[in-house]
Amino acid sequence: MNQRKLLMMDLERAMKKPVSERSWVMMIDVRKCVGCTACVVACAAENVCSPGTSYRWVFDQEFGDYPNVDRFFMPTNCQQCDNPPCKKAADKYAKNAITKRKDGIIVFDYVKFANNKKAGKAAKAACPYNAISYDGGDFYTDGTPKREPYETRRFYAYGELLTRKNTTGSIRACTFCVDRLDNGMLPACVTTCIGDAMYFGDANDKHSLVYKLLKESRWNPYGKLGTKPRVHYIGYARRSNIAFATNKTCEICHSKGGE
Amino acid sequence: MKKLIDCDILNKEITRRAFFKSSALLGGSVLLTSQIDLAFGNIKNAEASVYYSLSKPENIIYSVCLQCHTDCPIKVKLENGVAVKIDGNPYSAQNMVPNLKQNTSPSVAVKIDAKLCPKGQAGIQSLYDPYRIIKVLKRNGPRGSGKWKTISFDKAIGEIVEGGYLFKDIGESRYVDGLKKIYKMRNPKLSKSMASDAKKITEKKLSINQFKSKYRNNLDLLIDPDHPDLGVKNNRFVFMAGRIEHGRKEFAKRWTTGSFGSVNFFEHTAICEQSHHIAYKQATRQYSNGKWGKPQTEQMKPDALNSKFVVYFGTGFAEANFGPTNMAAKITNRLAKGEMSIAVVDPRFSKSASKASKWLPVEPGTDAACTLAMIRWIIVNKKYDKEYLKAGNKAAAQKIGETTWSDATHLVRIEDDGPGKFLRASDIGLGETELVVVNDDDKPEKVSDDAVFGRLDYAGSVNGIKVKTAFRLLKEQALSKNMTEWSKACGVPVKDIEWVAKEFSSHGKRVAAELYRGPVKHTNGYYNAQAIIALNILMGNIDHKGGLTTGGGHWHEDGSKPGQPFPMKLLNPYKLHSFGTKLTREGSRYEESTLFEGYPAKRTWFPFSGNIYQEILPSASSEYPYSVKALWIHKGSPGLSIPAANEMLKILSSTEDIPLLIADDIVIGDTSMYADYIFPDCAIWERWGIPHTSPDVTQKSAKIRQPTVTPLTEVVEINGEKQHCSMEAVMFAIGEKLNLGGIGKNGFGNGIDFTRPEDFYLKMAANLAYGDKANDSVPDASEEELKLFIKSRRYMGPAVFDIDRWKKTVVDSKLWKKVIYILNRGGRWENFSKSFLGNSGFVVHKYAKGVNFYAESVALEKQSFTGKRFRGITNFEPIKNAAGAVVHDSDFPLKLITYKDIRGGQSRTLPQDYWLSLTLPENYILINRKTAKDAGLRDGDMAQIISSTNTDGAWHLPNRIDKEITGRIRAVGGMKPGVVAVSWSFGHWGYGSSDVDIDGEIIKGDKRRATGLCPNAAMRVDSALKNAPMSDPIGGSVSFYDTRIKLLKA
Repeated sequence: MNQRKLLMMDLERAMKKPVSERSWVMMIDVRKCVGCTACVVACAAENVCSPGTSYRWVFDQEFGDYPNVDRFFMPTNCQQCDNPPCKKAADKYAKNAITKRKDGIIVFDYVKFANNKKAGKAAKAACPYNAISYDGGDFYTDGTPKREPYETRRFYAYGELLTRKNTTGSIRACTFCVDRLDNGMLPACVTTCIGDAMYFGDANDKHSLVYKLLKESRWNPYGKLGTKPRVHYIGYARRSNIAFATNKTCEICHSKGGE
Repeated sequence: MKKLIDCDILNKEITRRAFFKSSALLGGSVLLTSQIDLAFGNIKNAEASVYYSLSKPENIIYSVCLQCHTDCPIKVKLENGVAVKIDGNPYSAQNMVPNLKQNTSPSVAVKIDAKLCPKGQAGIQSLYDPYRIIKVLKRNGPRGSGKWKTISFDKAIGEIVEGGYLFKDIGESRYVDGLKKIYKMRNPKLSKSMASDAKKITEKKLSINQFKSKYRNNLDLLIDPDHPDLGVKNNRFVFMAGRIEHGRKEFAKRWTTGSFGSVNFFEHTAICEQSHHIAYKQATRQYSNGKWGKPQTEQMKPDALNSKFVVYFGTGFAEANFGPTNMAAKITNRLAKGEMSIAVVDPRFSKSASKASKWLPVEPGTDAACTLAMIRWIIVNKKYDKEYLKAGNKAAAQKIGETTWSDATHLVRIEDDGPGKFLRASDIGLGETELVVVNDDDKPEKVSDDAVFGRLDYAGSVNGIKVKTAFRLLKEQALSKNMTEWSKACGVPVKDIEWVAKEFSSHGKRVAAELYRGPVKHTNGYYNAQAIIALNILMGNIDHKGGLTTGGGHWHEDGSKPGQPFPMKLLNPYKLHSFGTKLTREGSRYEESTLFEGYPAKRTWFPFSGNIYQEILPSASSEYPYSVKALWIHKGSPGLSIPAANEMLKILSSTEDIPLLIADDIVIGDTSMYADYIFPDCAIWERWGIPHTSPDVTQKSAKIRQPTVTPLTEVVEINGEKQHCSMEAVMFAIGEKLNLGGIGKNGFGNGIDFTRPEDFYLKMAANLAYGDKANDSVPDASEEELKLFIKSRRYMGPAVFDIDRWKKTVVDSKLWKKVIYILNRGGRWENFSKSFLGNSGFVVHKYAKGVNFYAESVALEKQSFTGKRFRGITNFEPIKNAAGAVVHDSDFPLKLITYKDIRGGQSRTLPQDYWLSLTLPENYILINRKTAKDAGLRDGDMAQIISSTNTDGAWHLPNRIDKEITGRIRAVGGMKPGVVAVSWSFGHWGYGSSDVDIDGEIIKGDKRRATGLCPNAAMRVDSALKNAPMSDPIGGSVSFYDTRIKLLKA
């Protein structure tokens, strides 16, 4: 059965349970990432991000020299840490501006952050993954003949109907597309991924695909920092098909201690 | 906090602005304002309380993307009639494997988003591009000056049709002939008879004088009565399409050829990948009853769900090609599981190469050398499928359990000037027109309907005639150099070539060699493609699981299958028979033309190819074979996208070369800015189309592009029908004015009107819903689905959606329900089953025909400058100009190639779609680190490209300031030393990147759209043609990758 259908079935099962019994995790198989950035665009469109805001990046890194070169694509987003450095930092300025849902999703309080810039700044600086961005209120189509409707439209975040008015001045980061999840849909980056590199599901469900994958080899960038991320990476453990790279290659960027 | 206040006044501001700017015509339509306000979220309506409205089926319309030609089926998500999010269509086998079963309810499908690439995702930003035009523009200054005035649609049509002193008010005294004057031949019966007699002249069955005497009263209709084979004056009207696909292609071709009577309908394929198609076409022509029949296919792809090893030549699975959304996961999933591996032959270390077991950084233009080296290794080591190749016909193939067969054993006559015709049985008194093999008893045997097996590697003489088998000819080419020599020729180490050859011949039939633009955009492109096809034939991999496949195919929209409700071609009783030599001399033989005056010809003739886009403008300028009066540029940008682009721009700006130039476009583009009139076209998401599917998709497919939102373009009235301005509307309007046949009232025949786009496209949709045969139709839409169909279009304006009008064009109410069933799904797809997977056996949809190493018709044709014969078998040939002279340019040390990042297409996409340029704001001059250092350049430096035919390294933009071909150096390890790569999509001067003046108001350009560079102006002018780029004389491809350049630090 195909990966997407399995993930859909896993999601359906999870949504039948109360929130407190779900434990969302995302897994990214970097071997299957082709560096296309469909996820970046899908995310920006889904979440109506401003030009300065992005929940998702894909790094494109070349290693080596001609002719022994290799190239990696590294998708990354908020790791939804269970021990989130951003929360600790923000709490100093605005208590509970960042909260954790029982299913593991990090929630930003846009009102609190808009009213307390220091809290946002602190949270942003504390994230080792650079996953938090600031919504400065810019629009892509400003300076053109017209501000277009895809930027001013209403959208959803943490169960609320918003427009950019509500996020301007606040920090923003990946929500695991919680509003899609609540409506029985996988996150936008997962569904659009043309390489099938993305997995998402309930780690509490022993029958789920992510549960099985978690049992196999995986790694977390900066895992040794103790952030307990909910985004896990698969790949490059067995590299029989890939020409030049070695396991060590990942450590060039992740010298702080990848697992 | 200031920002928050800005947002608070947003609604008022936008509403006001929309009113102002719409009268200045850019930036969206007044009609839409109320809908946009709803989408802003401030105005509450009933739906505002519905949580996550994008998971409701009534907010979804399925359609088909066209950010690139892969044409992925899409799911457009609507908020109050405004498109807000686009995802992949889960019903489609192209976006998801296995796809949803056809009978899945749309209310279930709504929750499942399928894959889509970044370009498709960003479609929202091409649709709602603030630089979209919505009203007709007329030039208010010299061509290209950027000065415009708005003009009513009716007035514009009137001027174009009637002609006159159209630009007197801006100081141009010339009289412009209107279409009325060009539309000379108006009599279908006469056109048919003249067309047939003109053909007889080229066949030497009728003399020019006989023709002139027969048509003495009608000679004024001809371009030149002394050359009737050039056709009628209607041919002086040229329709030049950039991207046009099935659906619209048939619409526009029907109008140009059948209604207007001009032969000059062109697509852009020669700047795309034409030689790839032509090589496959030649390889798949079938011989029967003494004649070579039509090609059976124009491309094949690896059956990637099952391949063990795939080698990509100048392409990949993760960028461009046809295309990544359907290809990528098939490969990545199996690579990760260790079930397959790939190799990539490309001077650039592409995203696909990063997943490859072997990267072969080949010298540009030497793909045949690299491939012949592999073929040499396979032949020398006897790794080809001998049993397969020995089978000489269908019966033999069946006997050994194959579905296809080859010409490997067929005997070719060896003439003094090289291999010529295949030996015929009649040549040796063995029979009639049958081909001949030498069988294992060393006896000649005719290729009859009985199973024929022949000797493979044979050279000798039969009845005194020198012959060799096609296999032998291939072998001789492969063995003409040793491995070291081949390696030197293509720049790839022997060990790497051998590794790939060995891997390719180590997995039985589950291997494939795939190509796209890389090997074919050279003057030797056809031969390169032919070599790669030969590599496949050697393994006998066609139709085998994991081998090459022609794909799942499609249901037929044209009504050509028995029982289909609307046979589109027949529904054209009043059509003109357009005839004559095409402006590009494509599909015509120089030797048959009355223009023949020995060698060299004045310009290249292209007997094997079509859509020679790069020759349209230069031929018009050189008036060979004739001059042009009016040119319509549709959805294309020849001034930007054709190599040697400065030549194109020069011609486009010349009112002598092109007296009347009209364009339809969604913006003021880099080329449409040189038009006299621009008509706003509907964007992809606002209009119809019936595109076909990549052969990579092995399930049968039919896709329907349909309007998903109310088009932004102005509403016009033609034949009493209100509709949005578009390519189709312009054709209807000209048709109405000139009373053209085959369009308008009774356009499909008496009592059947053809006055709206859907009159055409919904009939095609009805054919698809009916299917290819009896009992092949889709189910009727249920009552619930009928309601959903209407509800999901509740915000659509009446000029685009009128259910009664739509229903009327399909006629039959039962059929209408079936049409709704497929429109509710965006098309129809075969369900997936296990039969599409497997370690052995055959693909579900088979080719089941013969394939050729040797192209007899090519071997017999002469290059129109040298008069020397082409070759029937592949060979490695240097880069040559039109006169057949080898091009050196050795003063210019670097070779220039281009590529496409997955975020960029030819138009739209990068950099205009801001979500895409967010991660790639400009393109680069990609160069090997050491090569850069040797040239005194460092990563990040700005550098200018110069070439032997563009020594000042600039775009010469007529009536504008020159633009240097300058970009940022990116020095990398992943480039072949000595080769420079520049990606497509950047370097605009139009398309919203610069200021324009409309009705005296300055619309400011956006600097983000002007970034990067386009290298096409540096690409080489053909020294023998002077005003055009170099071309492949067989495949017709323009040369993109043969220019040598120098980089100057800027």
